[in-house]
Amino acid sequence: MAREFKLPDIGEGVHEGEVVKWFVKEGDAVKENDPVVEVMTDKVTVQIPSPVTGKILQLRAKEGEVVKVGSTLVVFGEAGEAVPIRPETAKPIAPPPAPARTEAPPAPSPTGDILAAPAVRRLAKELNVNLAAVRGSGPQGRLSEDDVRKAAHGPARTTVVAPPPAATAAPSGSEQRIPIHGLRKRIFEKMAKSNVTAAHFTYVEEVDMTQLVHLRDHLKPTADRKGVKLTFLPFFVKAILAALVEFPTLNASVDDERGEIVVKGYYNIGIATATDEGLTVTVVHDADKKGLWDLAKEIERLAAAARDKKLSLQDVQGSTFTITSLGKEGGIFATPIINWPEVAILGIHKIEKRPVVRDDQIAIREMMYMSCSFDHRVVDGHVGAAFVQAVRNYLEHPATIFVETG
Amino acid sequence: MDRHVDLVVIGAGPGGYPAAIRAAQLGKRVLLVERDRLGGECLNYGCIPSKALIHTGNLIHAIERAGERGIETGPVKVDLVKLQQWKTSVVQRLVNGVGQLCKGNRVDVLSGHASFMGPNDLEIRKADGSDWVTFTDAIIATGGRPSDLPTFRFDGKRVISTKEALELPRVPQNFAIIGGGVSGLEIGMFYAKLGSRVVVIEIMEQLLPGTDPEAVRVVARNLQKLGVEVHVKSQARGWREDKGQTVVDIVTPEGLIARRADIILVTVGRRPNTDDLHAEVAGVEFGPRGYVKVDRQLRTSNPHVYAIGDVIGPPFLAHKATKEGLTAAEVIAGQPVELDVHAMPAAIFTDPEIATVGLQEAEANGQGRRTRVGRVPFAAIGRALTTGEYDGFVKLIADTDTKVLLGATIVGPDASDLISELTLAIEMGATLADIALTVHPHPTLPEAIMESAEAALGQAIHVLNR
Repeated sequence: MAREFKLPDIGEGVHEGEVVKWFVKEGDAVKENDPVVEVMTDKVTVQIPSPVTGKILQLRAKEGEVVKVGSTLVVFGEAGEAVPIRPETAKPIAPPPAPARTEAPPAPSPTGDILAAPAVRRLAKELNVNLAAVRGSGPQGRLSEDDVRKAAHGPARTTVVAPPPAATAAPSGSEQRIPIHGLRKRIFEKMAKSNVTAAHFTYVEEVDMTQLVHLRDHLKPTADRKGVKLTFLPFFVKAILAALVEFPTLNASVDDERGEIVVKGYYNIGIATATDEGLTVTVVHDADKKGLWDLAKEIERLAAAARDKKLSLQDVQGSTFTITSLGKEGGIFATPIINWPEVAILGIHKIEKRPVVRDDQIAIREMMYMSCSFDHRVVDGHVGAAFVQAVRNYLEHPATIFVETG
Repeated sequence: MDRHVDLVVIGAGPGGYPAAIRAAQLGKRVLLVERDRLGGECLNYGCIPSKALIHTGNLIHAIERAGERGIETGPVKVDLVKLQQWKTSVVQRLVNGVGQLCKGNRVDVLSGHASFMGPNDLEIRKADGSDWVTFTDAIIATGGRPSDLPTFRFDGKRVISTKEALELPRVPQNFAIIGGGVSGLEIGMFYAKLGSRVVVIEIMEQLLPGTDPEAVRVVARNLQKLGVEVHVKSQARGWREDKGQTVVDIVTPEGLIARRADIILVTVGRRPNTDDLHAEVAGVEFGPRGYVKVDRQLRTSNPHVYAIGDVIGPPFLAHKATKEGLTAAEVIAGQPVELDVHAMPAAIFTDPEIATVGLQEAEANGQGRRTRVGRVPFAAIGRALTTGEYDGFVKLIADTDTKVLLGATIVGPDASDLISELTLAIEMGATLADIALTVHPHPTLPEAIMESAEAALGQAIHVLNR
């Protein structure tokens, strides 16, 4: 018997997900627990395994399409079974928007084909949006004013993404059209939002990491014995936590709708992590309650989970301050984009031996630049500078990281 | 007098006067031309006077049946002349209101008869001579008028249209109605309540052709109770004088019969008022049955001439004309709009009333659409029982898969008022669950709507679910 599989409720606050990739096609045989589809929500990408052993009768969403929690994703059946009646989600993609003014035939609107309230339909007309080509975010694809505005302003999560043209359509090598969906779309939206919302300014400082490099080298054998990969990141987290205690307004976010600054009494440190699909911010929750080894273990676990696409919702939400580490490709300095709605982000660059002047002598020291961006609406220049100096101070004298602040 | 205006609206009916006012609101200098009375057919000879009379007919009927609730009354006598005066006062009040609204919105009103003289000029013949008007844009809102039949030509006395039927000074003893459509049944039921012996002759298989047969059956039952004689699949062949009496010959499936008739009302359709308009001079093209052809922005083949309302064809509904008028005015003012109506409601003021919106059950089946129907009789609704008016039902038609509401039919008390909730629901893209989950106050008739949505979902409380 045909069995409809609906997008399950994958977590708190998630109402829809975008189909990133199908691992199966119609007609394929699947075994229970075989991966069927990769779905990306606002927060996380999950692989959904097959709940049954059987055959894929029908896929009811295209890659790039946004589906609601509770709507049917795929129909399973037994070998030889026919596809059931065509559902609403399998509507063919409508033709692209066309300026339909007076040339339109005087046909009456067919009842129920486009689900949008009269005011929304009028707005669509004003913005020259073809509603048939827009997928609504409401129940049964009901279109909101928001959906129409998003569709009017270029690619948006509610529009059906057109497939890239066939290779024959353009001479190879001239250009490639890549549909923007999945994580890339999240990044599109989030970065643009941050860039137009926060008043960014970036402050760069140089840090002498020599002592910290020695400390880490000294701890290496212990780490190996514990089976923990000890990077510099846990030390940065520690230094930042210590500085945040001194500068609480940097452990904050902006509630732009209510016009309030929300200062957080908890410390969840986000760590920007590169994955094959793009940038993800993993989150070390309650970092202030963890010791160095626990931090190291947690950071390692998050990195592995990101690589293996095993991140849970919890792993990617709730950060209060974010670190972006450029590591070996670190360059000299950068202008990091704030992980909106947070108010600051700290970027760390490569550590390398450089000649510096110490006691009027040229000395070889382990040097590193830090680029820290702030939302100038919240953080005044001298506060941001003082925060970076505090972080620098902790890093240059790593013992102080472990001294109680007070 | 020669003059130029931004917009001339020809016809001040329910399409024309709102179009004129809206265009004026949007900054246009507007001239509104009317050859008869402000408000048009609807306000003067149709919707409004008929509802004034029908409401009175229901009142009389209610008084006659008040005995069962312990109200003692004598025989009810109706002074039709006085009733007509009262009706006229209602109409006059509304006509005056339209005049004031035009004035308040700086719409110029001219009493006269407009004819096109070219693509952007008109001659307006008035009682005291002619005006020449050039216009940037024009709206044809001339409406339509009742059609008669070759064997039943209107003479205003014996063979009449709806207009005269609503102005009769005496209740006719024998009343023949040719055409069992909306007007025929509304007027027929009214006179039956006043004591006429009414016979209705309908050529199609059912009364109110095109209306949900289940709903029509409810009205047909009541026609029978009122003593109205109905002949469907029948044709009135003609009328003759017989011993000082007028007799109508009717071809029925059972054979030829003859019925006496003091008055013969012909309600067999309407035709567009385009005869003296000379719209072809302005380059306006017409469709097959003489209706003006328009696009979705109500534009005719002349890009500066628009047409709205009955003159562009059926369905002949005042509110449709109004919507078209407003849309045309907004298009003329440069707004990027077009006629965009998902759900056009219609109300029939029979006893009980019938109101419909959106896709009907038969239509949906005809399109091969998979639908889910929820139907709840008013007899299951407490409020209906308390008023004594509980004939009829609410029927909702929704898409099987999406549960989106597609259409509704209501037959029963206040159906014409109840339909608006469902019209809004369809326009908003509501699902059955949206309606079922919305709290409706108790005890009221709209509870039947909520219950029908529940019934369509298979979980009604006050009827047993199949």
